[in-house]
Amino acid sequence: MSARHGQSSFRDRTVEFFNIVESLRRSNAPAANNVPYGSGRSDVVARREDPRSALINQSEFSRRASKIGLAIHQTSQKLPKLAKLAKRTSVFDDPTQEIQELTVVIKQEISGLNTALLDLQVVRNTQNDEGNNSRDTTTHSATVVDNLKNRLMDTTKEFKDVLTMRTENMKIHENRRQLFSSNASKESTNPFVRQRPLAAKAAASESVPVPWANGSSSSSSQLVPRKQAEAESSPLLQQSQQQQQQQQQQMVPLQDTYMQSRAEALHNVESTIHELSSIFTQLATMVSQQGEIAIRIDQNMEDTLANVEGAQSQLARYLNSISSNRWLMIKIFFILIAFLMFFLFFVA
Amino acid sequence: MALNLRQKQTECIIRMLNLNQPLNPNGTANEEVYKILIYDRFCQNILSPLIHVKDLRKHGVTLYFLIDKDRRPVHDVPAVYFVQPTQSNLQRIIDDTSKSLYDTFHLNFSSSIPRKLLEELASGTLKSNSVEKVSKVHDQYLEFVTLEDNLFSLAQQSTYVQLNDPSAGDKEIEEIIERVASGLFCVLVTLGVVPVIRCPRGGPAEMVASLLDQKLRDHLLSKNNLFTEGGGFMSSFQRPLLCIFDRNFELSVGIQHDFRYRPLVHDVLGLKLNRLNVQGEKGGMKSFELDSSDPFWSANSSLEFPEVAVEIETQLNKYKRDVEDVNKRTGGGSGAEFDGTDLIGNTKHLMNAVNSLPELTERKQVIDKHTNIATALLGQIKERSIDAFTKKESDLMMKGGLDRTELMGALKGKGTKMDKLRFAIMYLISTETINQSEVESVEAALKEAEADTSAFQYVKKIKSLNVSLAASANSASRSNIVDWAEKLYGQSISAVTAGVKNLLSSDQQLAVTRTVEALTEGKPNPEIDSYLFLDPRAPKSSSTGGSHVKGPFREAIVFMIGGGNYVEYGSLQELTQRQLTVKNVIYGATEILTGSELVEQLGVLGKKMGLGGPVASTSLSGH
Repeated sequence: MSARHGQSSFRDRTVEFFNIVESLRRSNAPAANNVPYGSGRSDVVARREDPRSALINQSEFSRRASKIGLAIHQTSQKLPKLAKLAKRTSVFDDPTQEIQELTVVIKQEISGLNTALLDLQVVRNTQNDEGNNSRDTTTHSATVVDNLKNRLMDTTKEFKDVLTMRTENMKIHENRRQLFSSNASKESTNPFVRQRPLAAKAAASESVPVPWANGSSSSSSQLVPRKQAEAESSPLLQQSQQQQQQQQQQMVPLQDTYMQSRAEALHNVESTIHELSSIFTQLATMVSQQGEIAIRIDQNMEDTLANVEGAQSQLARYLNSISSNRWLMIKIFFILIAFLMFFLFFVA
Repeated sequence: MALNLRQKQTECIIRMLNLNQPLNPNGTANEEVYKILIYDRFCQNILSPLIHVKDLRKHGVTLYFLIDKDRRPVHDVPAVYFVQPTQSNLQRIIDDTSKSLYDTFHLNFSSSIPRKLLEELASGTLKSNSVEKVSKVHDQYLEFVTLEDNLFSLAQQSTYVQLNDPSAGDKEIEEIIERVASGLFCVLVTLGVVPVIRCPRGGPAEMVASLLDQKLRDHLLSKNNLFTEGGGFMSSFQRPLLCIFDRNFELSVGIQHDFRYRPLVHDVLGLKLNRLNVQGEKGGMKSFELDSSDPFWSANSSLEFPEVAVEIETQLNKYKRDVEDVNKRTGGGSGAEFDGTDLIGNTKHLMNAVNSLPELTERKQVIDKHTNIATALLGQIKERSIDAFTKKESDLMMKGGLDRTELMGALKGKGTKMDKLRFAIMYLISTETINQSEVESVEAALKEAEADTSAFQYVKKIKSLNVSLAASANSASRSNIVDWAEKLYGQSISAVTAGVKNLLSSDQQLAVTRTVEALTEGKPNPEIDSYLFLDPRAPKSSSTGGSHVKGPFREAIVFMIGGGNYVEYGSLQELTQRQLTVKNVIYGATEILTGSELVEQLGVLGKKMGLGGPVASTSLSGH
């Protein structure tokens, strides 16, 4: 509803403006015999061609900037999807595969954007070094880069939040499983006491390393052993419910694979966190504290006004000191002349 | 669905920043375009309370400049202009286009640009062959400054002086009325409503009301008008009521001292465009922003100052408690017991603590800010003993007079010249009959304090004229007075007495508030029966209007010609809480004035009438 209001509260007068332009042009054209209009046209073309080199540079910059902006937008649109997937709390319907893929994609995109931004900065710097840009253009491009950086930063933060949430969820899952399995172990006595929780844990470990494993850039290689572990452990889980006695012999290899996968998962988590933190520090150094969150547009002006006033008072003081100097000079001169007179009259 | 002016205007501005393209539901443009914003001084005032640099960046504005600034070309970037449609601004735009500073020009005018200026723009750009640079021309109808959700100002300075100036001619008066009416028209367009207009008969209020009525009628005649969208669901009983008053309706509110937080901050510390500069402890100026984003301000600004101080104290204590709580949960001792089960719990606590930190720092900032403001206020109050002035003035209003010793005590005691002058004027307004000797001694005391008495003289003159006029008992009906100056003169006289009566009959409530309450209730009431009734939607023949538009109104817009203030604003907001029929009152004025500013305007009037001549010269030397 508010949108409808917004629509109606302004009036587009572009058409009216161009109508006036058209009528003026028509009334001017015959009088000027069409010559000035045509020459004017070529003038425009010439003028446009003149700063073309700068223009090409600039448009190269803006093209890249808008490309990056679009990419960031697309990436950030993927995040809610991931969050939705990660939020799923059901123990059995764990969309591990999807989350994996999505995380890899986002991770790659973010690091790609990061390098693209660095490139953009280089482009901007070279342009500035060439020195054919106006001051305002420089500021403009700096702001664009800063803005993009901020947005990328935000996206990365969001990504991190989603991943954190995911690990939280998994912890909860694990706890639940542990609870369940320990209950079970109390009911069924002796030989499976050690084995049961292990099986459950193996299943849990299936999900634990997921986001982080994908997160690391070398994930594809790490995926292989993890999948193997999965392949081995999941049938075991089913078996453990039905054929516990036969399983007893398989316990030793199972434990081995479990430990292996567990260690790997931990390793992955560690490496991804490390990587993310390096991205963060990188971004943090890049994004200088802009401090423009609460700035109002009239702030600058007031500062300027204060500065101007200060300058004025300084100038006034200087004027005073100069004029007093002048008086001093006159006085000294006067005294000198007086002495001269004295000498002339009384000594000579 | 309450009307929220601030939100509406912000929406309009954001739409403008996005080149007037339709927005996504999440409030950003479909396409990311980096652009440059150019505005003039007036539009800067519109923008600065509404939108911060952060929001500008969010909407792709990389640079923002005043139009007068010497700007350098930025190729390949569109520029959004938001300026008043004036000659000089247009010249600047034409210059910019001819130099082709930017890629394309999106021109937005704060009010409707006249055809003549549009033609000039066309010929100017045509001459420099830069017509194709201009991509859009828009009228935005945004020529007013919104300070809070329900408070706006037209930012038209010293309207009171211009309207009451005895030397002003017909033409000047008409110009002012036209300006005020078009400003109001902008507000209504932004709100998207056609209100029912009520106002007291005679004077500027009636003139503005009838001109606005005319404007709305003319506008509604055209098929594709700005209100068509609103027409569908805005049935008659949902239409708001627009009450237009003149400052003379109740002069005293503008002059008196007040002890509530918001009026105090405005009056004493000079709140301007929601911004405040306070002398910091270390000598530097600190500037604070006070608007609806500050929870403490919006919650407590209508309280009396001592209560506010108490509230700051409790907030501070609460904050300290919370900080302690966080410390206890995460603090030192628990680090020793590092067993596995507690590890998860521990990190969770730590995470919670970290997450609560931003909120805590924000609260700390708010508390710091208000402590600073309150300290500054307290210093001023002690120095000028504003509390005594406030108390005595309210006594004056209630009893219609004061003991002579008390009167003199206030005038000879602490306080600035302006405080004493304001007190003296309040005394004049409140007394029904003029006690000559007392007035003379008051005047003497004022002179002793070296105050500029021309404002006092002006009010006194009007008052004495009024007494003699009352003696002649309305023998000449006011319509006979053709001359504008005289008419206005008579106007202010009757208005001042009206103000007196209003004050005498009410205990605490302001006359404006009471009248608005009566008008919105729509019940027959002798006090408001004489008020003019205008309905721009109704056909012209039936001037009285149907009964259906007289009924109770849920929304009201109150407009004060010649300067409003935060006291009235606060009083009207209280009305919405106290009363059941009115849900929402938007308050506006030609400008928001502090007491001293209004007295200064009275003083200017007094000088123009040649009053207080000899005193004026001494006071000038005294300044």
